[in-house]
Amino acid sequence: MFPMLSTLIFLPLAGALLLLLFGKISPQISHLVGIITSALTLVVVLWMWSLGINDIGFSHVEQYDWMPAIGAAYRVGVDGISLPLVLLTAVLFLLSFIFSANIKKQSRSYVILMLLLETAAMGTFTALDAILFYVFFEVSLVSMYFMIAGWGHEDRQRAAIMFFIYTLLGSLPLLLAILGMYLGSDPHTFDMRVWIAESPLSGFAAMLAFIAMLFTFAVKIPAFPLHTWLPAAHVQAPAAGSVILAGVMLKFGTYGLIRFSLQMTPEAFREAATVVLVIGVFSAIYGAFAGLAQTDLKRMIAYTSVNHMGYVIVAVAIAAMAIEPSTYAIALDGAVLQMVSHGLVTGALFFLVGMLQDRAHTRDMHKFGGLLKTVPILAWFFIIASFASLGLPGLAHFPAEFQIFLATLEVKPLASIVILGIVITAALYLKAIAAVFLGSENKQWQSMQDLSPRELLTLGPLIIFIIVLGVAPSFILDVIHQTTVTLGF
Amino acid sequence: MLKDILLLLPEIIVLLTAVFVLICEMLRLPRTSLVIAIVGLLLATLFTIPLIGADTTVFSGTYRIDILSVWIKLILLPATILSLLLARSELANSFREGTVYGLILMVTLASLILAGVGDIMMLILGILLSGLASFALVAYPRTDAATEAAMKFFVFASVASSVMIFGLTYWFAGTGSTLLSELSQLNNSPAIAVLGLLAVIIGLGYKSALVPFHFWSPDAYDGAPVSIAGFLSVVPKIGALFAFAQILKDLPVSSHWQLLIAIISVMSMTLGYLAALMQKNIVRLLAYSSIAQAGYFLLAIVAIGSSHLAIQSLIVFSAAYVAMNLGAFSIVMFVGKKLDDFSGFGRKHTYFGVAMLIFLLSLVGIPPLAGFIGKFLLFGAAMDAGFTWLVIIAILNSVLSLAVYLRIIITMYQIPVNNLDNSNHESKNNPKLILLVIAISAFLTIYIGVFSQVILISL
Repeated sequence: MFPMLSTLIFLPLAGALLLLLFGKISPQISHLVGIITSALTLVVVLWMWSLGINDIGFSHVEQYDWMPAIGAAYRVGVDGISLPLVLLTAVLFLLSFIFSANIKKQSRSYVILMLLLETAAMGTFTALDAILFYVFFEVSLVSMYFMIAGWGHEDRQRAAIMFFIYTLLGSLPLLLAILGMYLGSDPHTFDMRVWIAESPLSGFAAMLAFIAMLFTFAVKIPAFPLHTWLPAAHVQAPAAGSVILAGVMLKFGTYGLIRFSLQMTPEAFREAATVVLVIGVFSAIYGAFAGLAQTDLKRMIAYTSVNHMGYVIVAVAIAAMAIEPSTYAIALDGAVLQMVSHGLVTGALFFLVGMLQDRAHTRDMHKFGGLLKTVPILAWFFIIASFASLGLPGLAHFPAEFQIFLATLEVKPLASIVILGIVITAALYLKAIAAVFLGSENKQWQSMQDLSPRELLTLGPLIIFIIVLGVAPSFILDVIHQTTVTLGF
Repeated sequence: MLKDILLLLPEIIVLLTAVFVLICEMLRLPRTSLVIAIVGLLLATLFTIPLIGADTTVFSGTYRIDILSVWIKLILLPATILSLLLARSELANSFREGTVYGLILMVTLASLILAGVGDIMMLILGILLSGLASFALVAYPRTDAATEAAMKFFVFASVASSVMIFGLTYWFAGTGSTLLSELSQLNNSPAIAVLGLLAVIIGLGYKSALVPFHFWSPDAYDGAPVSIAGFLSVVPKIGALFAFAQILKDLPVSSHWQLLIAIISVMSMTLGYLAALMQKNIVRLLAYSSIAQAGYFLLAIVAIGSSHLAIQSLIVFSAAYVAMNLGAFSIVMFVGKKLDDFSGFGRKHTYFGVAMLIFLLSLVGIPPLAGFIGKFLLFGAAMDAGFTWLVIIAILNSVLSLAVYLRIIITMYQIPVNNLDNSNHESKNNPKLILLVIAISAFLTIYIGVFSQVILISL
């Protein structure tokens, strides 16, 4: 059997090594290598998608000895929860490479870091061995640090350091939990499938591991009050960096919350579900309000991420509380679909803000005005993406959020006040659209160019995806559902 | 008797090599002495390989040939070769160059003895031999700074060693034997056991530069040649830590000494990194960082006797530490001692920059590098022994360490402040040998990180 998962994990790494070995090459070639590599990766993912997944357990599993002395092995595989995220990763990376093809500043290092990041992201979503997972989880952090520090905006050093230290502090408790589960499993192993099947810890130890993991993933997601690194990192990161950070890396947190917290310490999660639910509800509403207060477009979108990820936390907490298997499945379906939608929509929005910034060198919404006439395509794309982000039916977020609210109403009706978040996000997007695209034309921007072919190529697929996912979510939902119905009970 | 000699062959080869090196130096043949030293060390490594898996003692139980003493040879003998290459590139054609190689071999021999210690007298022999040779190495450049550093080192070491010897007499009095294996007799007299242990902690604590016995190390490293500082931060330290493990293996597991070691570990990690945060001189920074790293080693020592991961983690982390620390020191030799020397270095030299990144990130413990797998196993060992709180503190210190090493990384990739001395500091040392050491260290740092199975499988 062709090792598909290894290919899509290590293909980007191979591209990066290729670039590292060839010393001086032109920026065009570097970017070309990036685009080709990520395109090939996407092809492999699509091939895998066409083959589908097994009904039970993981598919396309590969396993090779790594450190048998301590029970660690190279184990990878996908199920309905990870496969959509793998697809999302492949799509967003390819588009990011296309978008950033105009970067001239040390383009070789830039492409190398992005490819490394892609390997790390693919590895994180597909690892079935806890050490392997942790390795990829941390590698992504290092590459993102250099991405922000090297190609970010004005205050990049401070933001990069804050990001690195904050998220390293965040991820180390996971190591503690991993060690705890390793020592708790008998025989000692790092096989995540075994941990999922047997829940190696119980009682107080499981609760401690759960708290440690919750901390890790709450930093990564990020959930209130551990979100403070996010606005700084997002605002300072280069546009493609923001897209990857929001579109892919935040998903590590929610993916981990499902894969580790929910699946490996289900009892502890059930006991603490109310706390997690409150964190989720609060994050969602807090993120929306904080977004409303921003004038910097990038900061505003960063806060809507806190809001949208808050819904995912709510959904996972509801799944942990659910008594009916069907509710469990609906909540998880909503959570995973929300992750994919958020990746596409926020990705599009960050690209758009990046395009505005390339043209105007500012992100302050009040410095713009009346851009709808000057740059109509950009404006309409922004409006579509914004409407998707605020949960308009027919666009990407709606099916996901609908399922989440449905499950919430069923299990904890009180928690459905989280719907309030939608109203506030609606307000903040309308405010932003009004400030940037409507109103009187600002003379300063009259010569602004509309989208170039490169930018159209980046955004077009995303906008199409957003609409398709809103109208016919089943093409992804079926895959997710295939796995979620078999979980937990 | 003959069997004993065969088991001791690596040690004997190192000793003979040291003697030959000194003879060559007397004949004014420094290059030959270097070649002899390297060949001797390679031979010693070769003769260690058949001993893997051995678990026995020689000379009526006073010296142990076991997993610790075999693996320290496989780790420290190659480390010494790398150190010799660094010393050659820095000190070539200096006055009596060959004596440096002889002294380095003596320190290595002492460290091997420490790791195989089965008897109180062997412990004292190892500490004193290692100390004497180290003072001379630090004083070697005969500058004011080096002399002062050596004096501080000497005074500190003499006091620490004397206190240790004094305290060890309690163990002798309590058991009537100098053998460590007799220590189990002390079950009924905890006061004597503790007094002797305190003596060991002082002696070995100074040797491995643990807080609060670390005061000599930043001064000594800073005064000594950089290559010697790198060597001292690796070889004698690991030797002393292995001796710790050998001795505590025989002491009955008790929460009292475990707690004591854990507290020293916490102090070393925390104070080491906090002090490192203040340094502008990279050698001093690395000196404090190696104090903190010694604190991490103690996580394994705490778990000796109560977790099967303890020995594994000690050995894997030692191998990792050798690669990453020697690598970092060799970059310092290439670039310069001041933090400002690093300004823009990574932009100018892509590959050296990447190598330094690998060493520093490995020191933090970022996967998939050697430092990660080492620390991971250390954490596992300590958790297995029930010291989860210690692991949490170690983890918090890892975050602190990131702040320490990021200072270098940020300086490396910033736009150079001034270009005036960026070109001349590289010419002083022989860059080819340094390059070789950097390449080997970087390769090992990655290799051990990804394929630590090679080490684990034979444990």
